[in-house]
Amino acid sequence: MPPILVFILALTASAILFWPRTGLLARATRLRRLSERVLVEDVLKHLYDCEIRGLPGSLEELAGMLETGRGKAHRILGRALQMELVTLEQQGYALTATGRAYALRVLRTHRLLERFLADRTGMAPDRWHAEAEQREHLLSEAETEKLAHRMGHPLFDPHGDPIPTATGEMPVASGFPLSRVAPGSFVTVVHLEDEPAEVFQCLLDAGLALGQVFQIHEVTRERIAYAVDGQDRSLARALAANVTVETVSQAGASDPRVTTLDTIELGQSAAVVGISPLCHGPQRRRLLDLGVVPGTTIRAVMRSAGGSPIAYDIRGALIGLRREQAEWIRVRRDQESGAAA
Amino acid sequence: MTSALPVLPSGASTPGCRGCSANRTANLVQLGVSVGSWDYLVALAGNPNTGKSTVFNSLTGLRQHTGNWPGKTVSRAEGTFEHNQKKVKLVDLPGTYSLQAGSTDEEVARDFILFGEPDVTVVVVDATRLERNLNLVLQVLEITDRVVVCLNLMDEARRHGIAVDAKRLARELGVPVVAAAIRRKEGLPELLEAIERVATGAERTTPFRIRNHPPAIEATVAELVTDIEAAFPGLPNPRWVAFRLLNADERIEAAVRSGEIGVFLGDNQDQPWQPSDQGAATLDAEAVLATARSLRWRLPSDFHDRLMESIYAAAQAIASRSELRGARRAKFDLDRTLDRMLTSKWLGFPLMGLILAGVFWLTIAGANLPSAMLASVLIDQLHPLLRQFGAGIGMPWWLSGFLFDGVYLATAWVVSVMLPPMAIFFPVFTLLEDFGYLPRVAFNLDRMFQRVGAHGKQALTMCMGFGCNAAGVVATRVIDSPRERLVAIITNNFSLCNGRWPTQILIATIFLGTLAPAHLASATAAGAVVGIALLGVAFMFGVSWLLTRTVLSGEATSFSLELPPYRPPRVLQTLYTSLIDRTLIVLWRAVVFAAPAGAVIWLISNIDIGGVSIARHLISDLTPFGLLVGLNGVILLAYIVAIPANEIVIPTVLMLTVLATNAVGVGAGTGVMFELDSTQAVGDLLRAGGWTVLTAVNLMLFSLLHNPCSTTIYTIYKETGSAKWTTVATLLPLVLGFVVTFLVTQVAGLL
Repeated sequence: MPPILVFILALTASAILFWPRTGLLARATRLRRLSERVLVEDVLKHLYDCEIRGLPGSLEELAGMLETGRGKAHRILGRALQMELVTLEQQGYALTATGRAYALRVLRTHRLLERFLADRTGMAPDRWHAEAEQREHLLSEAETEKLAHRMGHPLFDPHGDPIPTATGEMPVASGFPLSRVAPGSFVTVVHLEDEPAEVFQCLLDAGLALGQVFQIHEVTRERIAYAVDGQDRSLARALAANVTVETVSQAGASDPRVTTLDTIELGQSAAVVGISPLCHGPQRRRLLDLGVVPGTTIRAVMRSAGGSPIAYDIRGALIGLRREQAEWIRVRRDQESGAAA
Repeated sequence: MTSALPVLPSGASTPGCRGCSANRTANLVQLGVSVGSWDYLVALAGNPNTGKSTVFNSLTGLRQHTGNWPGKTVSRAEGTFEHNQKKVKLVDLPGTYSLQAGSTDEEVARDFILFGEPDVTVVVVDATRLERNLNLVLQVLEITDRVVVCLNLMDEARRHGIAVDAKRLARELGVPVVAAAIRRKEGLPELLEAIERVATGAERTTPFRIRNHPPAIEATVAELVTDIEAAFPGLPNPRWVAFRLLNADERIEAAVRSGEIGVFLGDNQDQPWQPSDQGAATLDAEAVLATARSLRWRLPSDFHDRLMESIYAAAQAIASRSELRGARRAKFDLDRTLDRMLTSKWLGFPLMGLILAGVFWLTIAGANLPSAMLASVLIDQLHPLLRQFGAGIGMPWWLSGFLFDGVYLATAWVVSVMLPPMAIFFPVFTLLEDFGYLPRVAFNLDRMFQRVGAHGKQALTMCMGFGCNAAGVVATRVIDSPRERLVAIITNNFSLCNGRWPTQILIATIFLGTLAPAHLASATAAGAVVGIALLGVAFMFGVSWLLTRTVLSGEATSFSLELPPYRPPRVLQTLYTSLIDRTLIVLWRAVVFAAPAGAVIWLISNIDIGGVSIARHLISDLTPFGLLVGLNGVILLAYIVAIPANEIVIPTVLMLTVLATNAVGVGAGTGVMFELDSTQAVGDLLRAGGWTVLTAVNLMLFSLLHNPCSTTIYTIYKETGSAKWTTVATLLPLVLGFVVTFLVTQVAGLL
């Protein structure tokens, strides 16, 4: 056989075996990780979720959630019963006090991991939940506390869910679904439902992010129309149920002079209003470190010979920012533009 | 497979007795500081690029050592010095812009100040960037009282027309502020005095604490203060305690729980505040902590942003009251004029091309003569002398061969080829850097790099790599985004370094130049080499794109590019530091790796197994694979033994060819590397060894695309601290090299 054919075959075989996430090796590793403990923890989490929503936990539902057959699900629940983490009641399965505490700890680990992935890595937002789902079973309690310590004990995960404390405390959820919003009101996003992943991606694509403030323009039976950072958007009413919002005061929420830094022309200056919630993690911290905080005056000074980036005068330092960073900085134009600083 | 369910944890995880002052020793041990041999512990904090390392070096001199923070890949330096008969241990914290624990550096700095409880924390501040630096100072002041501010780079400030009133600043901040220009030795005695005053408690500081937080936060703080006062009546400064609890400060939480909160307050360490015996407390400590926990939930979700806002507002106010910006205006305008020219659409790129071409030309032209001189001294003259000496004292042939023909020769070769170009390239490059021009280059080229997911500064590290890949890897420190830095490190090898130019030029002249008509021969050869170099640049872009899409897609990333003000370069100082920092250190590492290589080369050529030298065995073993990829056994073996240094590839190839072909009348002995004076002679020898044009082309490609030299591999490991990425950086170009040469061979076979 000519060597080039051998080469191509070898390449294809390697791809099938070693391709990240979908390759055979990756799949086999994932299966091995699904030990019994992992399944029990998943069950506890699910039952906790049912408790919050006021629904009983049925065997069929749990089997479906675990993606296993009834027999296996029954065995898992048997183990959980044995360890006194759940009880079997008339309507279905429910958590005992110890089971609830355990579930909260797993939840704490999950949300801390999501926070870590959002703040310290460049992972895309739609992958945080799935990645945390996998890793949450691998951390011991001591490691979870160490993670919390490293992150400075954050209160909320990047979806807006509160992170249970080490003692299992969590505040009561507030806000109402976006689907029930009134036209003309100003709202801010306090929570984005992370499952199912496809819906979450749709929410991100619609310009929604935690902390985003916007005004509702119109509410019809199918869609909700609003404006974010000067851009008109809309979202299907059905998907809007996955977004929890709170009303905010009108002040500063809709100022025609508020725009993003990339629209500021050379020689003009503007005052920072804030950094868009879409900017998270190391990039956000870098901008804060450079002094991009509300009140700072930024002036666009010059453009690179290659067209990008643009150099801005921020607190006396000349900083080059690309368009994608400038789009995240919300500013209010100065009254007199083009005035020499 | 069942794994036992974990023992159900007890619930509250105790933060331990972290706040307990008795456990400070335990904390320090955990932080990696050895206890007992010093009187005072001083931490050195500050933004990056404030001259902090100069302060550290000035204080500790040579009595320092570097290592890593326990459990982390962040490097740390600690040292000791004596002042007024007291021994002081100085720990250098990583340079950070803030203490918000958003990165490992910040975690390390924060943890040390919080739990290590240094007797004094010295914050080094850049006087030309007061506002931005005060951000960190104010955050440090939130945690500890015992702070001394070193207002450094005052000479730079003077040059820029910025006058900072150190006394005014000290009044505003409530801590000692020492004006200094440490690199000129100004302010050092005053700094030592201030450190002593604060360490011994002779000066009691009244640090500035931010008062103007947004109403929502102030309301929350007030509620908590009420509870704290109920639990600890008469406690001084309950507002500070409230803020620390709302910030989830573990040591304060532990101190409140244990009742020892007075340790952090009170007039001096020996007499901490004690609660009065009346027992007027109406609330117990746990209730305070519970209130704090529930109040934390009530903080606005943009609490962190609001906090940074207040800190910056305070920093701005303090800075504007303490500094005068006078002549800065004129300097600013001059800078802008220069910038307009260097970054303009029409002039920017041509000027850049001119300047970079100038640097390269200077290096190549300037290094020729010194290289030849060094070679003639070290190799043509010293080598025979050494052999004579060896024969004279009756050294056995194998020892003199091993030492002089193997170890010495390889080292001499590397030095004579490596030293002159680097001694020219590095200082010139550093001068440009000092002047402030290089960030403008990154600024101009950033768009191209953005398209492949890299940082504009990679242009600079790439250029540095044309001098030496190891230096290029070290240069990636200027890229502070982790992902972009890794990309720059891994792709740096595709810059054709100094050591590989001779190989490329020689092979191109012999095999490609002869293909063209005589008057175009050298132009063709030169063109081929330039083509290879540009191919390297193309691979750099391609591999960068591939890496950011696949292997590196999850790494943290952030972009910003600071354009510092222009400043006249200090020529002599630059020459000195670039000589020490870059040239000599890289040279030292190269010697360390080249010497063993020389030994190996000589050994495998002269040790026989079964009547035939090891080298011969290896050559015949490697030949089948070599032919598969269009090279041959000699080349592969030469590259294996020459991993330490690309400079010795050609001499090794020649020596092995002589060995393999049993050529007579050529060479300097078995296992002795050599070079021939005429390229014609080299060509004849190689052709006798079976080389064709295809071999030559593949060699040029492989020379571009093979694994980095061992110096570079070692440097990559030290810079990334990760075996995984070092392996990737080593194997990726190698695999690419084999694939490309294989494909070229196959395609050539089909034609």
